[in-house]
Amino acid sequence: MIRIRGLTKRYGDVLAVDDLSFDVEPGKVTGFLGPNGAGKSTTMRMILGLDRPSSGEVLVNGQPFAAYAEPLREVGALLDPGAVHSGRTGRNHLRVAARTNGLPLRRVEEVIDQVGLGSAARRRIKGYSLGMRQRLGIAAALLADPRVLLFDEPINGLDLDGVRWIRDLLRRLADDGRTVLVSSHLMSEMEQTADRLVVIGRGRLIANATTAEILNGLGRRQVRVRSPRPVELLKHLQEDGFAVEQLDGQELQVEDRTAEEVGELAHHFHIPLHHLSDVQQSLEQAFLELTGDSVEYHGHRAEPVDAATEVAL
Amino acid sequence: MTTDAMPVRISSGRVFARACAAEWTRLWTVKATWWFLAVAASIMVGLGAVAGLDAGSDPTPSPNASAWAAAHFTVLPAQFAFLALVLSAVTSDYATGGIIPTLQWTPRRTILFLARTGVAVGTATVAGTVLALGSAVAAFVAARSALSLPLGEGIHGLATIAFVLAAGTALAAGLGFLLRNTAGGLVSVFLLILLLPLILPQFGYAWLTTVADLLPGSRAVFLLNGEPTDRGFTNTSSVIVMLAWAIGMAVLGWLRLIRDDANH
Repeated sequence: MIRIRGLTKRYGDVLAVDDLSFDVEPGKVTGFLGPNGAGKSTTMRMILGLDRPSSGEVLVNGQPFAAYAEPLREVGALLDPGAVHSGRTGRNHLRVAARTNGLPLRRVEEVIDQVGLGSAARRRIKGYSLGMRQRLGIAAALLADPRVLLFDEPINGLDLDGVRWIRDLLRRLADDGRTVLVSSHLMSEMEQTADRLVVIGRGRLIANATTAEILNGLGRRQVRVRSPRPVELLKHLQEDGFAVEQLDGQELQVEDRTAEEVGELAHHFHIPLHHLSDVQQSLEQAFLELTGDSVEYHGHRAEPVDAATEVAL
Repeated sequence: MTTDAMPVRISSGRVFARACAAEWTRLWTVKATWWFLAVAASIMVGLGAVAGLDAGSDPTPSPNASAWAAAHFTVLPAQFAFLALVLSAVTSDYATGGIIPTLQWTPRRTILFLARTGVAVGTATVAGTVLALGSAVAAFVAARSALSLPLGEGIHGLATIAFVLAAGTALAAGLGFLLRNTAGGLVSVFLLILLLPLILPQFGYAWLTTVADLLPGSRAVFLLNGEPTDRGFTNTSSVIVMLAWAIGMAVLGWLRLIRDDANH
């Protein structure tokens, strides 16, 4: 269980995290979503005591992380897979971790097998691919069988097998009753793995709900309906206060209503329907709607240069 | 399935012992440590042997010449290998980003500071003292009885060398934690230990000479070789100056570690 209350981090004039409060519950994969620069990594660093909050507090299983004598037994975390001494072998990197928390060295061999690092563990980390570094970082996170796991963009650099492996791993960890917080900017990935989503933008909490709620509730709901009597249906829908738009000859799109509501209205007026469906939003769309105003770094499409405009070089 | 086992109370002493064990593993699992020790061994034992050969070939040998002088002389250049060893043990985590996992595994920063400083400084001091003994023995053997190796002088000399190395490397560790930068640390160490003590008195201004007198490098040379003899240095004042630098820099480094974000 991670409990975050009023968490704020200021770097000079920049407010990286702004009065953030949420809980991460055990037994679930919680996706931590936000555009680049939203404050996800900073929040994770504060959970781990790496950065000091300007105000607010974070408790991990009821205590600040830095208070634990054996922190690896409480929290396993992978923040930056490149943040390791590359001159050390993977096995020695894990041995150092094991010694800090009084873990038997056989655990090192077990997690090396578990993450599929195999014989690469004997090699210096400088020869590792990004995917291998991810696996090494995950091995360190799993070393002491912790109750809480934090992963910052864990599928970066992984091939398809690696991505599947991570998905299964996250699911298993949550099903074991552990608290799992996974940050990502890949909404489609979170749609497949996360039970809950915490969405932030510009350091502020935008949404904290189940993935289904975000997909169905927080995002814009739409209904598509096709009828041989579209004009009549349109008239009745508008009279009942539905926001409706005619897409083509027979098809209408109704905003912020469910298929049940539209279907019942059509039935009431004995209007036959040939098609009726909720438009399933992707998390991507929901996310973009939620964070639309919170993106710090926008890409801009190049404006076409007017032929008559003089360009000063 | 996770279990809510009763938390076992772990003493700070045990956490510290584990952190020391981890630091010991960290130190010996990177090549840099071995390189720095190899360089120090080459300088101290090699130059010790050369000094012994030189003394052995002297047609008018001094009857009181001691092989321990070789240890005192060779530790002056070799100390930079030990200073670099300790600096890199501290700053490599900042250069590589390794401070992130380090603080995840040992989030009690004072314990990390004490363990890292203690293991690195202890290793450098013990290795330097053993190599000083090796330097003196190499000089004694190479001199073919032209040099003596008195036990009492040896104990005093080795203790002095151990103190100079411990104080110097503690200063380097503090600088490493303070600056979080290997290049900056090395430049600072060279300035404080070697260059400024040599250069400042050359300007001829009394105040610059006074500044040089308060630098750790000036006092290290005095403790090891008894020079200069004309600036009023004593063993006690030199020990105090070196301790002040070592403790002062260590405290500054500790404060930065415990107060600042991990690596911002």
